[in-house]
Amino acid sequence: MKKIIKLNQIKSTKKISDPWANIGTILGQTSINDYTFHLKKFKAKKGDIVAAEAKLPTGEGNIIDVVVWGRIMEIISSNDFLPNEAAKELTEGNINILDTILPLTKNDSVCTVKNLGYTRNDTNIKLSLLPLNYPVAPGGSVKYPASKDLEKLLNTDMNGRNPIFIGNLVARRDVDVHVSADNMVSRHVLVIGMTGSGKSVWVRRAVRELMVKQYPILIVDPHGDNLGIVQKAKKLFPEHDIKLFYPKISAPKNNKEVIFTLIEKLGNKLTEPQYEFLNWLLTNIEYETGVSLIQYISILIQRANTAAENKRNKTNKNSSGMSNTGASTMGVVSRSLRKVFRKLEEMDQSNTSNRKKYPHLKFEELPDPYSQPEKIIKKSQVSILYLKGYESLPSSTIVSILLESLFNHRSAGGKVIPPFFTVLEEAQNFIPSKSEGQDGYPSVSTIKKIATEGRKFGTGLMLVSQRPYRLDETVCAQMNSYIILRLKNERDQRFVKNTMENWDNEEAKQLPNFANGQGIVSGQITNIPLTVQIKFDDDLTNEDIGDENFISDVINWKDSDVTKKKREFSKKFDKVFDADKRKPN
Amino acid sequence: MQSLNTNKLLKSSLFTNFINNVIHNPSPEVQKNFMDVSIKIADTIRKICDEEKVIFKVPYNGREYWKYGKSLETCFVDGGVYSSFESSSAPFAIRAKSYIVKPNNPISNREKFEESIAFMGDLYDSKNNIYELSEDPYEDNQLLNKKKDAARIVFEIACIVKHLFEKRKFNYCLLHGPIQTPVMPFSGPEFPLFKDEIVKNILPFLNFKTKKDEKNLNAHFINVYLNSLNYLTKSKFPIFGIVERTKSTIYLRNLLFIAKQKNKIAANDYEKMISTINRYKINDGNLLELILSDGQALKPLEVEKQIPSKAWGEWDVQMNSFPKTFVGYLKTNSHQAPIRIETLNKPKNIYKDFEYILAMSKLLPNYGFPAGLDVVDKSAKIPSWLGKAAKGYYSKYYLDLAIGTKNNKNVNSALKMLQGGRVWNNRPKAGKISK
Repeated sequence: MKKIIKLNQIKSTKKISDPWANIGTILGQTSINDYTFHLKKFKAKKGDIVAAEAKLPTGEGNIIDVVVWGRIMEIISSNDFLPNEAAKELTEGNINILDTILPLTKNDSVCTVKNLGYTRNDTNIKLSLLPLNYPVAPGGSVKYPASKDLEKLLNTDMNGRNPIFIGNLVARRDVDVHVSADNMVSRHVLVIGMTGSGKSVWVRRAVRELMVKQYPILIVDPHGDNLGIVQKAKKLFPEHDIKLFYPKISAPKNNKEVIFTLIEKLGNKLTEPQYEFLNWLLTNIEYETGVSLIQYISILIQRANTAAENKRNKTNKNSSGMSNTGASTMGVVSRSLRKVFRKLEEMDQSNTSNRKKYPHLKFEELPDPYSQPEKIIKKSQVSILYLKGYESLPSSTIVSILLESLFNHRSAGGKVIPPFFTVLEEAQNFIPSKSEGQDGYPSVSTIKKIATEGRKFGTGLMLVSQRPYRLDETVCAQMNSYIILRLKNERDQRFVKNTMENWDNEEAKQLPNFANGQGIVSGQITNIPLTVQIKFDDDLTNEDIGDENFISDVINWKDSDVTKKKREFSKKFDKVFDADKRKPN
Repeated sequence: MQSLNTNKLLKSSLFTNFINNVIHNPSPEVQKNFMDVSIKIADTIRKICDEEKVIFKVPYNGREYWKYGKSLETCFVDGGVYSSFESSSAPFAIRAKSYIVKPNNPISNREKFEESIAFMGDLYDSKNNIYELSEDPYEDNQLLNKKKDAARIVFEIACIVKHLFEKRKFNYCLLHGPIQTPVMPFSGPEFPLFKDEIVKNILPFLNFKTKKDEKNLNAHFINVYLNSLNYLTKSKFPIFGIVERTKSTIYLRNLLFIAKQKNKIAANDYEKMISTINRYKINDGNLLELILSDGQALKPLEVEKQIPSKAWGEWDVQMNSFPKTFVGYLKTNSHQAPIRIETLNKPKNIYKDFEYILAMSKLLPNYGFPAGLDVVDKSAKIPSWLGKAAKGYYSKYYLDLAIGTKNNKNVNSALKMLQGGRVWNNRPKAGKISK
C-alpha cells in the first residue's frame, strides 16, 4: 500500500520544466507583470519565451508548482570593470583589447521579462495558460523551455478552433505557430505595417489557409496587390473559383442618398436653389437597380438640359414644381453633372486601361450584389474586386454598396450566401479617421456596422493598412485581433499603443526593427501575443505582377514612332525660328 | 551693499566673521606665499633630482607596447572591507581578491577573478572573531578602525603570500596600496592579538607554534606583518605596491637625506628644508606635480618605512627587521598627481617595469592608474547590497534575542543599539517651550 502511494506521489510531482536548460536567476524585485533575471551568456535572446519555476497560492489555500511563462523584452549587457575612458584609449590608440589587461569575461546580461501567464508545472496536467496573480520569487531559476513544450503551449485548445499555420516564432524558428481560423473569420483582424513590411505575405498566408477550408473570400484591392495570386492559386486550387471583378457603379433603387453624395462631392459646389433642382431631378427620374450610375447621370444631364431649354422657351413640359427655378440654375446643375460624368468615365477608362496590362487575367464586371450576391460570395470562391483607377470617394461608394448588400443578405437570415471573409486592402481609403475628414465616405458607416455586428452573421473583416493613424478609431476598436508588422512612423506607433489593450512600450520599441514578414500576432486568434515570422508563400506569388521595375523600363525604353516624328519636326521648326530675324518685341 | 539687504545676514556673528576673514584677513597673501615657497622648493628639489639623475622618461606607444605586453601574466591584488560599527554585535566582512590576467591566453583561460582570502564574522564576538579578546576590555572607534585597518593590511599581503606559497608564477604582481605600511599605529599595548587559527589559515608558511609563548606575540599584527613581508622578499617575480593618492613626504625626505649624506647640501640647509616642508605641509604628491611631466618618473630610492623610536611598545627588534622599501614615482598623465610605486626588492628592470605600469595606467587616460588595479578594486569591494543584507539579518537576529528575553529593558537597549545610540534626530527641537 505504502509503495503504491509513493509511486503515485512520484508520478504527480514530475515537472514539465525538469528537462529544460537553466539559463538564469531571477533578480531582486518582481511583480505580477514582469521581472528581471541574470542571463547566462548567449543562452537566450530578445523575444524569446522563457519559463520561471515558481509557486502560487490557490484559492483553496494550497501551494502549487507552476511555470510562469514570459517574453524577454529587453537585454542589457554591462561590464562594470570596463570604464568608458578605457574604451576611448583603445579606440584612439587603435589598441586591440585582447592585447591588454582589461577584462573581457565580466559582461553581465540582465533581461527584462514580461509575464504572459502561468501553467501548472506537472506533466500530467494539460498546458493551459492562466493569468498570473502572484509574483515569481527572486532567486528562482529561469529556464529555456523545450521547443515541443512551447509549441504545445502556443497551440493548446486550438484543435477546436480550426488552427491554421501562420509561421514560426522569430526567436525560435523551430516552433510552429498556429492561429484560430474561427476567431479570425468571425471577429475581425487589423493588419498594419509600412510598405514592404509583409502585409501581402500575411494576406497570402491567411487567404491560402482559408481557401484550404473552402471559406468564401472577398478581397477589395485598390492597387492590384493581390492579382499575383490569381494564376498560381488557380493551379494550386483547381477546384476553386478565383474571380477577378472590376466595378460597376450602381446603387440600390431606393438609396439615392449615395448617388446624391457622389454627385455632391465629385461635382461643382452648388447653391441652395441648384441643390433643390438636383434633388428634383433625382426624385423625378427613376433609377433602376443594376443600371450603371454613369448611364443614370447621363439621363440626369439630358433631363436638366431639356428642363433648361423648356425654361428658356417658356414651356413647362415635364418640370412641374420647378417653376421658380431659372434656366441658368438648371444649366449650372447640368454642368456639374457633366463634370461628375466625365470623372466617372475617366476613372472607368483608367481602370480599363489598367486591366489591359494583364491580358492573361480574365476580369469580369462585378455582378449586382443585390440581385446576384451568390456570384460574388460562394463556397470555395475567392473574389477580387480590382479598384485601380478609382478615386477614394467612388471607391468608398462602390465598397459601401457592395458590403452593405452582402451584409444585408447575411443578416436577413436567408441562405442566399454563406458566411464570408472580406479582406480590405488600403483600409484608410474606406474608413478614414475623423481628422482625415470622413464626411461623405459611405463605406465608413457600412464597415462600422459590419465590425460591430458582423460576428453574429459570419461577415468577418480583415482591414489592411500602411497608415493606421489615418484609420477610424471606432472601427479599429472593434478589431479583436492584430497583426502588427514593421512600423517606423511615430504617429502609427502611437495609434497602435492607443488602440491595443495591454500594449507595452517595450513592444513598441521593436516595431521599427522587424524584418519583412515579421510582426506581432495578438488578440483572440492566438493564446498569447507572439512575435512571428510569417511563412512566405512563394508558390502564390507571380513575378510578372509585382513591384514596378522602372530602372529596367528606362533601359529598355524606345520612343514611339509618333514621338520620333514630333522630335524630327521640332528640329526643323527650330531652324526656321532661328532664321527668323523679325521676332516680335 | 544696502540694497542687497544684507543686514539680516550680518546679524549672524559667524557670517560676519567669515566675510571679514575673506575680505580683510591675509588669506590670499598666505596662499601666494605658499605657492611661492612651493615653487622654490620644487625648483630646488628638481635640481637635486638632476644632480642625482633620478628623473627618467618612460616611453609609451600603446599599440606597439601591448603587442609585447600581451604575453605578460599579471596578478592584481586588493582588499575589501565591510563593517557597520554602530553596535557591539556589528557584522564584519573582509576579503582579498586577485585579478589574474594573461591577455594572449585563449579567452577561456585569459583572466581569473579569485577570492583568495575571506572572513565573515565579528570583531567582538568571543567565539567568532578575528582577534583574541582577553586583553580587550574597552573599545572606542579609533582602536576599532585600527583593528579594521590591520586586518585589511594583513589580508592583502596574505593574499600575495598565498600565491607565493602555492608557487604560482606571474610576470608581475601589483598590490593596490603601499607594499609596506608603518606599523607604529598598531604598536600600542591595547592592540589585540590575532587568533591563532586566523594566522594559521592566512599565513600557512609560518608554521605557527601551537604552544603559546608567554605573550603569544607571534600573533600580534607587527609580527604577522613582518613575517609576511619577509616572505614576500623571496618572490622570484616583481611585486609592486601602487599608491594613487599620497600625502607622504617619504621621497622628499630621503632625497634630501641622500644629498646631505653625499655632502651635496649642507646639514643646516637640510634641517631647515625639512622644517619648511613640515610647516608648509608640502608632500610628495603636490610637489612632484610641479617637477614631473607626463611620462616622467623618479627612480626608486631605498627607504626605511619603520621608525622604532616612534613605537609605543618594545618593538625595536621587529621594526629593525622589516625589509627596506624602494619608493619611486611615475606621472601617468598631465593632469593627475604622480602615482607612488613601491617594492621590497631592488627592481632589476626598472625601465621595463615602469613602462608596463605606465602602459596599464594609460588604459585609463583620465584616472591615470593601472587599469588592472581599478578592476580588482571594483571586484574586491564588498557590495553594499550584501553588507546591507548582512546588517539587516544581524539586526533582526539581535532584536529577536532581546524580544525572547521578554524584558522591556533588553528590547529598548537592543533598539537603541541598532539605532546607533544618540542620533541627530533625537535632539530637542528648537523654538518650542516644553510644558
